[in-house]
Amino acid sequence: MICQNCGAEVGPEEANCPKCNAENPFATQHRQNKKRFQKAYNNTKGRVIDSAQKTKGLATRAAILAVLIIGILIAAAVTRHEYEGPDPDKAARREAERHPDEYAKEAEQLLESRAYMEYVSFLYAHELQNFPPEQFEPLKKVTYVAMDYYECIKLMEQIVLRSDDPEYFDGLDTDIRNLGMYLESFFQVVKVQKEAEKNEAYLACMEDMEALLKAAMRTYFAMDEQQLEEFLSLSEVQKSVKLEEVFRHEQ
Amino acid sequence: MNNKIKILLNLMIVIAAIVFLAMLINMNAAIRYAHRDTEDPVESAQRQMAYKVSHRAYGEVVDTYYWKRSDYLEPPEGMEDLYHVAAYAHAAFMSRVYEESKDEQAVRENAEKMERLKKDLGAYAFSADEVDAMIKKAP
Repeated sequence: MICQNCGAEVGPEEANCPKCNAENPFATQHRQNKKRFQKAYNNTKGRVIDSAQKTKGLATRAAILAVLIIGILIAAAVTRHEYEGPDPDKAARREAERHPDEYAKEAEQLLESRAYMEYVSFLYAHELQNFPPEQFEPLKKVTYVAMDYYECIKLMEQIVLRSDDPEYFDGLDTDIRNLGMYLESFFQVVKVQKEAEKNEAYLACMEDMEALLKAAMRTYFAMDEQQLEEFLSLSEVQKSVKLEEVFRHEQ
Repeated sequence: MNNKIKILLNLMIVIAAIVFLAMLINMNAAIRYAHRDTEDPVESAQRQMAYKVSHRAYGEVVDTYYWKRSDYLEPPEGMEDLYHVAAYAHAAFMSRVYEESKDEQAVRENAEKMERLKKDLGAYAFSADEVDAMIKKAP
């Protein structure tokens, strides 16, 4: 700065000119500004520190909670992995989703050759029974019928081929109850699906399964046509009671 | 306000800590389970098959066959005999069904299939006769 009196250089904090000792008005203003700025700085600093002190605990707690949650998720993932174990065949089963046309064709061939049990096993093994690719959409109705047919034949085989060893566990009651349930379901489903099915080939498969199941029932329940029709008109519970009589030779 | 949030966070931390401890215990149990000693699955399958056949429980053989086949169309190692015997049992079951249906072509084809399956029975060749007897005798 320049002294207004003598023109000499004066520092902004010097109260008087070092040459002529004249008063430096800027120094006073400078000191006042400096005091004001220092006060404002101290205020702001105090507020910032107060604010940080208030939220310091929150940040630490949030960090601890986040670490614990991450730890829980990692432990859960490891637990799941260890319990599930590897499933090397999953990829093989999902192959059907990658080549749906080929698998749909193979499924149709099984139906054409009347291998209905094979057809259902094929669907299960390739996980095509629920939410199959769109190529399997036309096969939906015949699949509903085939699945009940599969359960009925499977249970009939279990019952007919059960052990005659009195020392061996007897699961006949359960099998008969389940058979009654699936027979009831099959004849309801086949009636509904036959009415809805427009494809002649699939309709023929449904009728074939119905005929085969009735033939199996006549054979292994020792019933003629009339007795079979009477049996089919019974309720599910009545069917089970009748089957108990047949298979425990109480009739 | 901040005090309330701190209390809430403290509570959540305590709960999370308890859950984390439980998950660590569970994880330890899962790792021990995954590395447990297990029986050889092949031996186990063969022993179970032998037991069932010894009691002529072909119904259970068939049940296991369908259950396993819902995952594996081809027999897993150790279950070849079970698959062959069950396939024969199914064919034998269907033989009477086709006869009742008076479907001569199906009867003929099924008979040929039974002959082929009989050759695969190996040590369980005697099962064919037992199954045939049970099918013939039913109900």
